[in-house]
Amino acid sequence: MIDFSKRLIRSPQGAAGTIIVLLAIVIAAVGPDIAPYDPSAMSPLLRYRGPSLAHLLGTDEYGRDILSRLLFGARSTVTMAVLSTFLGTLVGSLIGTISAFLGGRADEAIMRTLDAVMSIPSLLFALLIVNLLGSNSVNALLAVAITFTPAMARITRSVALAVRKQDYVNAAIARGERGLYVVTREMLPNVIAPVIVETTIRVSFAIMLFATLSFLGLGAQPPAQEWGLMVSQARQYMHLSAWMLIWPSAAIAIVAIGFNLLGDGLRDVLNPRL
Amino acid sequence: MVTEAPERVLDISDYSLDYRTVTGPFHVLKGIELSVKRGEILGLVGESGSGKTSLAWSIMRYLPRNAEEVGGSIMLSGEELLLKSPREMEKVRGSRISMVFQDPGTSLNPTLSLGQQLSEVLLAHRGLSPQQAWRESISLLADVGIKTPAKMMKRMPHEASGGEKQRIIIAAAFACEPEFIIFDEPTTALDVITARQIIDLLTQLQTRTGVGALYISHDLALVSQAAHRIAVIHRGEIVEQGTTDRIFETPERDYTKMLVSASPDPRQRLVEKRDENAKGDLLEAKDITVHYGRPPFLSGLVGHVHSPIIGNRSVSLAVKSGEILGVVGESGSGKSTLAKALVGLNPFSGEIVFDGRSIRGIRDMDRNYRRNVQIIFQHPDASLSPRQKIGEILSRPLKLYGRPEATLPQREAIERLLAQVRLPAAYADRYPHQLSGGEKQRVAIARAFASRPRLVICDEITSALDVSVQASVVELLIALQRQFGTAYLFITHDLNLLRQIAHRIAVMYRGDLIEITDAGEIASNERADYTRRLIGAVPLPPSHAATSFPNRE
Repeated sequence: MIDFSKRLIRSPQGAAGTIIVLLAIVIAAVGPDIAPYDPSAMSPLLRYRGPSLAHLLGTDEYGRDILSRLLFGARSTVTMAVLSTFLGTLVGSLIGTISAFLGGRADEAIMRTLDAVMSIPSLLFALLIVNLLGSNSVNALLAVAITFTPAMARITRSVALAVRKQDYVNAAIARGERGLYVVTREMLPNVIAPVIVETTIRVSFAIMLFATLSFLGLGAQPPAQEWGLMVSQARQYMHLSAWMLIWPSAAIAIVAIGFNLLGDGLRDVLNPRL
Repeated sequence: MVTEAPERVLDISDYSLDYRTVTGPFHVLKGIELSVKRGEILGLVGESGSGKTSLAWSIMRYLPRNAEEVGGSIMLSGEELLLKSPREMEKVRGSRISMVFQDPGTSLNPTLSLGQQLSEVLLAHRGLSPQQAWRESISLLADVGIKTPAKMMKRMPHEASGGEKQRIIIAAAFACEPEFIIFDEPTTALDVITARQIIDLLTQLQTRTGVGALYISHDLALVSQAAHRIAVIHRGEIVEQGTTDRIFETPERDYTKMLVSASPDPRQRLVEKRDENAKGDLLEAKDITVHYGRPPFLSGLVGHVHSPIIGNRSVSLAVKSGEILGVVGESGSGKSTLAKALVGLNPFSGEIVFDGRSIRGIRDMDRNYRRNVQIIFQHPDASLSPRQKIGEILSRPLKLYGRPEATLPQREAIERLLAQVRLPAAYADRYPHQLSGGEKQRVAIARAFASRPRLVICDEITSALDVSVQASVVELLIALQRQFGTAYLFITHDLNLLRQIAHRIAVMYRGDLIEITDAGEIASNERADYTRRLIGAVPLPPSHAATSFPNRE
């Protein structure tokens, strides 16, 4: 494990990704405690201010401190993205592994169904689900998780097909193990490495997907401090103060890039053949 | 041996090589001293990881980036290779030194015709015109025993067999009349009979051209067929070198003695004769047929007729209780297919009768059958899940089939299993990658024996192991057989090993069972034609068979 993190830090992408992601996690954890202002405290006299010493990142259309809102918003934004990706990965990798284990007609049926689902663009699909379930944060989370499931299943299956041919799986089947044991204990642990890499990269997609949903008014609802929602609201006032738009957009971009870099770094570490 | 011009073609003195790794330099080669005379084949024998292939690449001057040459010199006909620039080496490689690799399947470019690849060598190094090169290539192919050389030139690599491909690579290696040739395990990827032909071809060509050669292999018996002298390499050091006969008759160093004694010798039987009056058939397979591949989905609708690949064509054999039945055959002969059918990994048609109970398909294999018929696979790396500790791996059969001594707590039952295969109890907490290849195979054996089976199917279980490890694994299997009276279906391509340990031997060829015979009578002249060819192709260790090698004087 120590050797593992050492190798991760040694690659430039890995190091940069780790730092950004760690920072994002720290902010999500302690953000509300270090925020200088109450995120929903309005001050009508200090609207549309640029960065200053009192308000480091400036203020929005109600005079709320943008820095404080970003710090508070980190918790919901990052947590939601990680949770939904995790959920999508879990379901997807289970489906993928089971499909590879069953093989034959069942595999064919599962994968063609997933192909059909994947042919719908992910944003449209998420929009569809949120519209059906109603627009709030939990439904947005589910929508993103469901959107990610087919792709994760596909990736897991491709790895699991190779694992399926390994003799330890054959040995388990030959000694009469139940299918569930073979899938969960013999196959899943051995397909997990590439899946972790993909998950990390997908967190950045999730952050952007959430931002888009919120931007379209289908995710978190005002006055929540979600980053995508902040961008959406700032759009109307961007000619009055561009900073309102720039800061949350930058926050989303940085965290997304961070997870992406971490994923690249992990891929190099977990796959010594590359 | 060739006596004229005893000049040294290759002279390596005090050569050392390190690989830089994260944990510091790794010494691959230490103070290598070797020389090859004109017209001589030097056999270089070592186990995996001994540095024999690294030495080959050092001579070719084609080393990975993290390689660091600590010192010494490599001289080719009196010229120092270490001082040559990469540009100069390009001229040397292929024209003055050439190399033949292990796997003919991967050393040819699949997108170029065989003729293009062979004449390319002549174009690059001998400055011939394309037409001349083409004609010259055809005569080279005739020299290496290709029957229709002109047609072979136009074929693509996938249209030639493994043996033919290796012949073409050998033709390319000899094409520019090099001073020195390196053979890196040239027959390891080939079938026994083809391998024998390739070795005969090599020695013939070598005698005719008088080229100096280094023959690298892990198989002492094989090397002794071709080499005049043998050097034994162990952990990057040359342990001993001498003439082939001397190495076999009076090995000096312990490591060499161990290598010589570890190569299986059919004259030394390792098991007692089976009591003929003992109980009858334990498992009887009747007309087992296995097809591979299923008809593609929807293809029947458009009128495609699906022709399945045949893995086994009505194979019938019986294993008696307590007997070691050997199954021998080339790759693709259906040995493993049969093994997998018997443990329910391949769907089959036909009938298995086990202990009087009839089994007609995978669904008929109940817990009792699975407990009594266990399988051990070839690669211990692949048969142990890398993410489970040894303890967990061994606990599964105990959970499924119950413990042999029901009163024993699980932890102790696992320790007892480990002790049975002579591994320390502490190994239960380790992961497979922390064990050596031989130790991993012992764990796989322990897992198979956990349920006290009556039949264990050993599918090539020694072929991925080094000779010395192989001998100790075989010895362990025989000890277990004595202790529990287990029957083995022992599948291997190593006929010498089978003649040591099997009571009866079944010979398979392309999915068919050719014949079953007593191990003692396998070499008799009454055997089937294929069996006799197989016996003829397998080299015997020379200490007992010095007369049967026409290639050495």
